[in-house]
Amino acid sequence: MIRFEKVTKSYPGPGAPALDHVTVDVEKGEFVFLVGASGSGKSTALRLVLRETRPTQGRVYVAGKEINRLAGWKVPRLRRQIGTVFQDFRLLPNKTVAENVAFAQQVIGKSRSEIRRVVPETLDLVGLKDKSERLPDELSGGEQQRVAIARAYVNRPMILIADEPTGNLDPTSSVGIMSLLERINETGTTVLMATHDHGIVDQMRKRVVELDHGRVVRDEAKGAYGFQH
Amino acid sequence: MQLRYVFSELRQGLRRNLSMHIAVVLTLFVSLTLVGIGALLNMQANKTADHLGSQLEVIVWLCTPEDPSNNACTGEVTDPQKAQIEQAIEDSPEVEDYHYESKDVAFEKAKELYPDLDFEGDDAAMTAEDMPQSYWVTLKDPDEADGITSAVQGLDGVSFVGDVRDELEPVYTIIDVLKYGSWIAAGMLVLAALLLVANTIRLAALARRREIGIMRLVGASTLYITLPFLLEALVTAVFGVLLAAGALAAFVQFGIVDGLEDLIDFLPWIGWEEYFDALFGYLPPGIALLGPVLTLVPTLLLTRKYIKV
Repeated sequence: MIRFEKVTKSYPGPGAPALDHVTVDVEKGEFVFLVGASGSGKSTALRLVLRETRPTQGRVYVAGKEINRLAGWKVPRLRRQIGTVFQDFRLLPNKTVAENVAFAQQVIGKSRSEIRRVVPETLDLVGLKDKSERLPDELSGGEQQRVAIARAYVNRPMILIADEPTGNLDPTSSVGIMSLLERINETGTTVLMATHDHGIVDQMRKRVVELDHGRVVRDEAKGAYGFQH
Repeated sequence: MQLRYVFSELRQGLRRNLSMHIAVVLTLFVSLTLVGIGALLNMQANKTADHLGSQLEVIVWLCTPEDPSNNACTGEVTDPQKAQIEQAIEDSPEVEDYHYESKDVAFEKAKELYPDLDFEGDDAAMTAEDMPQSYWVTLKDPDEADGITSAVQGLDGVSFVGDVRDELEPVYTIIDVLKYGSWIAAGMLVLAALLLVANTIRLAALARRREIGIMRLVGASTLYITLPFLLEALVTAVFGVLLAAGALAAFVQFGIVDGLEDLIDFLPWIGWEEYFDALFGYLPPGIALLGPVLTLVPTLLLTRKYIKV
């Protein structure tokens, strides 16, 4: 589903590359934690999957497409197969919960009847059915992140990318978010999650890929966050 | 594609940036009006030139007794002198055709030209006898008149050689000054309009950066993201063009049809046909084309820059 083949990504200017000959293969339906210190290259790896940037060397395949060769006008089509969740939620403050989720469907041209069907369904999945008319400001952090997940999942993407989704949340909310991501993963969606959160990684026992200074230093199935941290 | 969102965004965008949009509309309005006036004056100049070019270009005025224009004239032109002048005209390679006008014909023309003067009776302003005889020479190329002019100038019996165009030189100069003046002013205003459009887009992109970020992430197409911007640009262009079209219509109606046409009636004046050319022409582009181009092109270029997918 996602494959990095000897991927190097250097940004302009001096310094070591953000990613250095990284080779990782993520199968369809896997749940993978991407761990490592700040600056280890996690965000760069996620940006490559989204084709926000391109590799300097090597190849990145996402959903069978080599993103390096993907024409610019095909990028939106690729991104429709990827849902994205961020640490800072990125909700539209002037839209209700339901409108925020519907927005992701509207802008890719889904029909009104489909939106009316799928949005409540998705809000039900994330446990916010009764708060669909609230504004993001009126929700807790955990609830806002659920809205963001609903928005990322509403188009039923093949891949869900989560960049520190629990970074702004208290432990209780984090657990809720993780069980939600796990449920989404169980529907067959590949989940790639970058995180600093030891507790979560240790508890979930999923595959862990650890980056350090742009290199893969560990890749183990059912791993823990690691000893050195 | 779901256009409901696009139109609600358009409405919001227009409202949010209202003062900017008004500035763009007004700048476009004034600059397009000036471009249009420049185009109309250009057409007027061409029309005048065409009209005169199809007419007799060079007039060879012959001597009269006590000729006021030329002291060398010793008396009325004689028949042998006329024969010599005719020969010179016929020999010139620049001449297409020529004809002779008698004193009587000139007198009739004078009566037509100055209807208020008294041409009858003892104290008539002038008589047929005062009028000069003349040769009206049509040129092959209206711009090549030097040869024939120098060939007849100085011949005995020639009072002076007149070029119709010389008499209209001031008219041309005025038209040129107005035309280039309006184009220079229009050029600067067009630049101002472009900068305003650029600023408007920058502000709009900034105001909508959250939405745009999300749209990109969930895979909205570039067209879908830029459509509200393009429509905003189009709406401001339409208002600018409409205002300019109104101003130009007023210029044609009050300035030309009701104004100059009555004042100076020996020249052909531009009218509504030329007005529609200035509006809808495509070569050179009319303002109905120019207005949208002026807003859409920078919008396309800048949205590409600010909303990189």
